[in-house]
Amino acid sequence: MENERKIKVLIAKPGLDGHDRGAKVLAFGLRDQGMEVIYTGRRQSAVQIVKAAIQEDVDVVGLSCLSGAHLTFFPKVVELLKEEKAGDILVIGGGIIPEEHIPILKEKGVTEIFVSGAMVKDIADFIRKNVRKAV
Amino acid sequence: MHHDKLEEIKKKREEWEEKVLKPAAKRFRMEKPTEFHTPSEIEGFDFLRDVGFPGQYPFTSASFPVNLVPAVRKGAKPGGLKRASQYSGYGTPEDTRDYYKAQAALGWSGGPNFALDLPTQCGYDSDNKTVAGEVGKVGVAIDTLRDFEVIFEAFTGDQDMDKIATNMTMNAAANILIAMYIALAEKRGIPMAKLKGTPQNDILKEFVSRGTYIFPPRPSMRMFRDSVVFFTKNLPGINITSIGGYHIREGGATREQEMAFSLAIGIAYLQEGVNAGIDIDDFAPKFTFNGSGGSLEIYKEVAFHRAYRRMWAKIVKERFGAKKEESMRIRVPMFAHIGCGSTTKQRVLNNLSRTMIGGIAGLLSGGPPAVFPPYDEPLGLGWSLEARQLADDGARILMYETGMCDVLDPFAGSYFMESLTNEIEKAGWEGLQKIEDMGGAVTAIETGYMQREIARSAAERQARIERGEILLVGVNCFTEEYELDVTVNRLVEHPYSEQKRYDAEEKQKVNLAEVKRTRNNREVKRLLLELEKAAKKEDENLMPLFIQLAKEYASLQEQCDVLRGVFGEWQQDTFI
Repeated sequence: MENERKIKVLIAKPGLDGHDRGAKVLAFGLRDQGMEVIYTGRRQSAVQIVKAAIQEDVDVVGLSCLSGAHLTFFPKVVELLKEEKAGDILVIGGGIIPEEHIPILKEKGVTEIFVSGAMVKDIADFIRKNVRKAV
Repeated sequence: MHHDKLEEIKKKREEWEEKVLKPAAKRFRMEKPTEFHTPSEIEGFDFLRDVGFPGQYPFTSASFPVNLVPAVRKGAKPGGLKRASQYSGYGTPEDTRDYYKAQAALGWSGGPNFALDLPTQCGYDSDNKTVAGEVGKVGVAIDTLRDFEVIFEAFTGDQDMDKIATNMTMNAAANILIAMYIALAEKRGIPMAKLKGTPQNDILKEFVSRGTYIFPPRPSMRMFRDSVVFFTKNLPGINITSIGGYHIREGGATREQEMAFSLAIGIAYLQEGVNAGIDIDDFAPKFTFNGSGGSLEIYKEVAFHRAYRRMWAKIVKERFGAKKEESMRIRVPMFAHIGCGSTTKQRVLNNLSRTMIGGIAGLLSGGPPAVFPPYDEPLGLGWSLEARQLADDGARILMYETGMCDVLDPFAGSYFMESLTNEIEKAGWEGLQKIEDMGGAVTAIETGYMQREIARSAAERQARIERGEILLVGVNCFTEEYELDVTVNRLVEHPYSEQKRYDAEEKQKVNLAEVKRTRNNREVKRLLLELEKAAKKEDENLMPLFIQLAKEYASLQEQCDVLRGVFGEWQQDTFI
């Protein structure tokens, strides 16, 4: 067990939305949960996020968006990951996401959406259960 | 109070703790007994020095001598203040104009309070490919003067630009957008001196939280200097800035961090004006505050506001040598509301209870009550008409039914409140000193100190929630299966339809293309070159050029791109 690689997570904020408290809280929190976390910082394009995810060989991409542009950005990241043959990377999202948009996002390949009030330990458990790579 | 008397109280207290409190705490199995406070905690208290009268130095009890209870928008009582409308702005300028017209038809009056979309706030035009998906979301898209012209079709006659005050949430590009506002007024024959309003224009807090910066901190401060100088001389009715401690707290800062960081930022702005050679009393009264953050810890929030007012007054008077009391007074539209960060998505109607407490805290801390945000904020920007009605009615109940507005600073002289105010003030000065030792707010931001601190505080708070040290009803406690999952039944549609939201981007691109086709492109090009030259000269004030560019329909991004070339762009480190 001790030789097992840590689960590696990329937390990213696509677009111009600068509200990154949740992203940072999750970055710190998942680190405390024993994961390796990279935070891209604000204002990342879907292309930049996917590039970073592949370069860093992450298991999970966590996307945060409060600007209402999630329907544009989240599926775009999923799509680009597939194009780059990295479709096995787990994509999860969070932010201000209206209920009715959650099924749309899931249909487009975002595995789960965690909204305000979600506990870090629940997110960590979800990641551990669903991470597709052998880690 | 006489020293002997205090000694007697201390002795009596010890006896009480031993004989009365301890057995009771033991009986009720309380780890920490309920607090009780006595005069001995404020030894040396001097009413005139520490509190004074409302609306007078040191402003501890209130900024104004009376409670300015505003008229609420619909069914307003006469004699209230005319206030800018609800924070709003949707899709294209046409959509926003129509929204304001519809609001006016409902009987609302007063100027708009703009929300701008993120591309506008970050200096991009609607046709920029990298901002696809964000045009017209979270606010209206503005590219050129044409867009101001369209929005303000809703404001004419007795609601013309010289008769209303306009609030605008603009920071990095505030000067360019204000120039468009001025250009529109002048086209209508209204001189800029007659304009009223408040641009947010608090760029430093954007680096700390919220994130709509464009240029690095130092050239951003040069833009700020241009506003201080130009507004002071030419725009007596326009406030210079609206300092937002609120955003810093919402970004994760503790109460004490918010206090230290926002005061440090305020000092940096005041210094900018003084360095530019303006008399402090000529511009400090034009500083406003966009409220402070809040929490449900009602006593601490009240103490925070009392301490904050006292500190600002002291800074402006003693450090900057202001003579006028208006310079030392904090002007803020609302005091201790709870902030959006205190609302929960779980059992969303509970937020109404929470915001009512915020309204009470606002009253107790020296201002009119604001039941803010609407309870549905965590469901997506708090827009539903029912939620707004309830928020408005909540404030009205506090204003007109409780009698709470009849008294200012009811805690003045309270043993507990005065000592708590002192305690919070002390922590505030210490935090401020730390930043001063680093070289001030700009340096503390460049090095990422403020950003790192608030990220840590936010993570620490979440950890405490998960350990159950902070209890949130319906989130991490009282969540058993016999608790009801209270839901909201929507009665009324959103004022702005999903379809319009979806179409906004394409429409706005067409609007912009039309402007670029019909304007004098040669003149725009010439002025942009002039802007580049002027930007390179540190001493030059760019405001007059921005107004000329606005009149020629130069776009926001065209101007920002020139400035990006000269000033550079801020690349934010992640600071975690």
